[in-house]
Amino acid sequence: MKQRILNMIWQPETFLIVLIGILLTAMGRLDASFLQWEVQRALSSHVWELAIIAIPMTLIILTAGIDLSVGSVMGLSAITTGMLFQKGLPLPLACSASLLVGIFCGFLNGWFITRMKVHPLIITLATMAAYRGMAEGISHAKPVSGFPDSFTWLGQGDWFGLPVAAWVFAVMVGIVLWMMHGRAFGVGIYAIGHNETATRFSGLRVDRYLVTLYTFSGFASALAAVLFVARRNTAKADAGMGMELGVITAVVIGGVSIFGGRGTLIGACLGVLLIHETREFVSWHWNRDELNLLALGILLILSVVFQKLLRHKQGSAI
Amino acid sequence: MTDATSTHTTPPLKRALIYLLSHRAAGLFLFIVLLLGIVSVMNPAFLETQNIKDIAVQAAPVCIISCGLMLVLVSGEIDISVGSMMGLLAACMGAMVSESRGHLPPGMAIVLTLGIGVVIGLLNGWLVAYAGVPSIIVTLGMLTALRGVTEIVMGGSWITDLPDGIRFLGTGAFMGIPISLWTALTVILVSLWLVHRTAIGRRIYAIGSNPHAAYLAGLPIKPLKLFVFAWTGFLTGVATLVSVPQLSVVDSGIGVGLELLVVTCVVVGGTAVSGGLGNLSGVLCGVILMTMISTVLIFMKLGENATYWSRAIQGLFILGAIIADHWISRQRKS
Amino acid sequence: MKSSRQNISKGWITTAFTAVLAVFLTACGPGASNNESSNASASSDKNGSKKITICLIPKKKGLPYFTSCAAGAELAAADLGNVELIYDGPTDGSPEKQASMIEQYTLKGVDVIAVSPNDPDVVAPAMRKAREKGIKVISWDADAVQDARDYFVNQATAQAIAHGMVDTMVSDIGGPDVKAEVAIVTAYLTAANQNVWIQHMKTHIADTYPNLNLVAIKPSDEDQKLAFKVTQDLMKAYPDIKGFFGISSVSFPGAAEAVKQAGKSGEVMVTGLATPNSMKSYVKDGTVKSVVLWNTSELGYLTVMVGEALATGKLSSGATSFDAGKLGEKKIDGDHVLLGDILVFNQENIDQYDF
Repeated sequence: MKQRILNMIWQPETFLIVLIGILLTAMGRLDASFLQWEVQRALSSHVWELAIIAIPMTLIILTAGIDLSVGSVMGLSAITTGMLFQKGLPLPLACSASLLVGIFCGFLNGWFITRMKVHPLIITLATMAAYRGMAEGISHAKPVSGFPDSFTWLGQGDWFGLPVAAWVFAVMVGIVLWMMHGRAFGVGIYAIGHNETATRFSGLRVDRYLVTLYTFSGFASALAAVLFVARRNTAKADAGMGMELGVITAVVIGGVSIFGGRGTLIGACLGVLLIHETREFVSWHWNRDELNLLALGILLILSVVFQKLLRHKQGSAI
Repeated sequence: MTDATSTHTTPPLKRALIYLLSHRAAGLFLFIVLLLGIVSVMNPAFLETQNIKDIAVQAAPVCIISCGLMLVLVSGEIDISVGSMMGLLAACMGAMVSESRGHLPPGMAIVLTLGIGVVIGLLNGWLVAYAGVPSIIVTLGMLTALRGVTEIVMGGSWITDLPDGIRFLGTGAFMGIPISLWTALTVILVSLWLVHRTAIGRRIYAIGSNPHAAYLAGLPIKPLKLFVFAWTGFLTGVATLVSVPQLSVVDSGIGVGLELLVVTCVVVGGTAVSGGLGNLSGVLCGVILMTMISTVLIFMKLGENATYWSRAIQGLFILGAIIADHWISRQRKS
Repeated sequence: MKSSRQNISKGWITTAFTAVLAVFLTACGPGASNNESSNASASSDKNGSKKITICLIPKKKGLPYFTSCAAGAELAAADLGNVELIYDGPTDGSPEKQASMIEQYTLKGVDVIAVSPNDPDVVAPAMRKAREKGIKVISWDADAVQDARDYFVNQATAQAIAHGMVDTMVSDIGGPDVKAEVAIVTAYLTAANQNVWIQHMKTHIADTYPNLNLVAIKPSDEDQKLAFKVTQDLMKAYPDIKGFFGISSVSFPGAAEAVKQAGKSGEVMVTGLATPNSMKSYVKDGTVKSVVLWNTSELGYLTVMVGEALATGKLSSGATSFDAGKLGEKKIDGDHVLLGDILVFNQENIDQYDF
């Protein structure tokens, strides 16, 4: 019993919750207005796209993979929506098309990774350049804007007191949690991350899993792109530039091991929350954007160092 | 064995192709020659000495850093912080020599810049080897953090008064050949010596290709990893010194995206991310190819369109290299 | 035994970590109370003479161009006395981050937001939201979508800048009768501002200078090195090229350096927009005959003056002129507050400016 409690205390999630608690208290003391519900709700609109992409990224990193192309897929999907809208296609069709583009991009990633047996880092590094390049090539880097209000509501409007994107995120997290929890799907993902070869020999269709995950990642990126276009009322080839770094940082801070097999979706969500609050607070309070970069970099390295220590602690507690 | 059987069954042309692709340097070299042929037919001005010299000067810093990064990859780690590191080193160098700021003598600034490079490299290496943080995380964090430090060092203004002593490193020449090329040549020779003639080089390959065996063999894994990161930091410093003074202004955006270019060059050059595999000649060809592409595109006069598609073409090159690798390994198996 | 020792050492580390955090928290403590008291004094100020918070958002923080604008803005704040100035912007120049910052300031309830939009369409929704909350929104340096702001502090119209650059180039290369190839080195392909200028430059060239032939427009991705390289390549690919426009403060010095190193100073002309400090050496050695810009410090100054006047009600719509303190009377054209003419820096006057 004592062991179990100890074990729970030394989870990275507990550590994150404590850390977030401490940081929020500190932020509240420095600047009480920051913690008002209205402020938090409005500021949250900056993070949902990142949060949505963090879901598949968590699963992918759990399988010891990585997807660097998410930002570029966002760009390509955003520009697809924009160009088709400009060509006069109805928006629902344009959005569906951009979701299809995202799904296809993700599928292509998965296909290359499972077929070529090359590390996902390299494959998605290549597709990162290729997809972004295509977005620039197709659009000649010209932005599309002037979307109707019915569409921008998706990004700017509220539904039951929260931004629409928050609900999208909640539904996705719900579904993925349900699928992960005690079901073969979840077990399979962790198994691949722990030991891919052994999992292969145990008869699991590893390749099918991986292709599904990367396709899911493409889909989520495209979904984020549509929400992004709606929020900013502009479709541009540089949408989601640098998104991959933010997402990976959040997931890793959330206690998901980059070597796979360790970490949880809840942890990743806490990681997203942590970097979101840090980012917003630094520019809220100090009005110095350059501090943000410094803070995030240090936060990333330190949190991984501490998680490693925790893991030792956890190991000795068991 | 399998090679022997395949020589009997496969037609000679295919055999040649397999040879070229599996010897990455040779394959890339042929590809470069082919590309040169095409572009010089379309626009003979490409082959003028001045142009070749310009391309070489652009390739020099990339080549210098790639020599270090290759060893990092061979040891089974990765370093994606070199872009921001170069930005910070450039800012430090500029701030030290600028008359309105540090006003140090150039010689001292050079030593200090290299020193800061080594220190950052050591920090990377220490976090990876001794604190046990995955290298992609450490260097991702550094990529972000160092960019922030650079902005703070620059303080919103640029350095526009680099003294001639420093400018000479970027613009000067020795026996008609720019300093940066001499430096790159030196770095290549030192790297060749390091890889082929020293125990350190062989051991780096050993820990990359089989970490467990290396551990059992009692190799000093941690110091070696510390070394490769410090070496990369040092080379980034060298690259900063010979490339940044080519221009008169040190701004805060130096080195943005450089890490991607360098990783691409090294990987296209046949270095495996999983470690243990990679050779300098391949990396060199990778560097030349990747730095050549954009110039080639301009010389082909494809018009405005090519500008917009150049990034896509870059991505397709990497994919092409990956597919080629895959194809060889399948050919070998069959 | 060993494991328990390990346990203890790890426990130590955790304790140390907690201690560090505790120290951090206590360190924050006095700061927090300071802040509260300063807030309180600010609100008491409000009862007496109203303290006005003005946020100045540049396109990209860290560019000397904007830093010099901010210096002017601070002068204005000091002159006025009742203004608290916040200067912050994205260090990476991302329009999306700019929009996020506008949203933050809206929530904070500042009085005036002055923004130099990186991409007018992206920041427009955020600016409209700020206006709905009663915040005065002005654009400076670059215009926003018209209904998203109250006033635009206009240093020079896009047309004037574009025409200025083309005219300068034509006179530099020897008049409108000289047949010449020219090229533009821009910032990003997606940079909205630059694209508007390029559009105006194209039409101006087509309408007025049939002998000028624009052969290429290349991006430099705000990377001096790339601007240098692109210029080098263009000079070789188009050996007859006579002139380069460097239309961002990064691409201009890069292009000039390339021309200088190719030994074509005086033969191939470079002109464009940049801060004088980074161009001084080129102007002096003759690579660059003229640099087009405006008085950035005065631009920042005027922006803060307009912001303050809007917030206090001194300036209302329909005004045709505006008293900008030490800058004197400034003309208002519709909802554009005009700074005045563009400045052309050349060998004679460049030493008078230091920014």
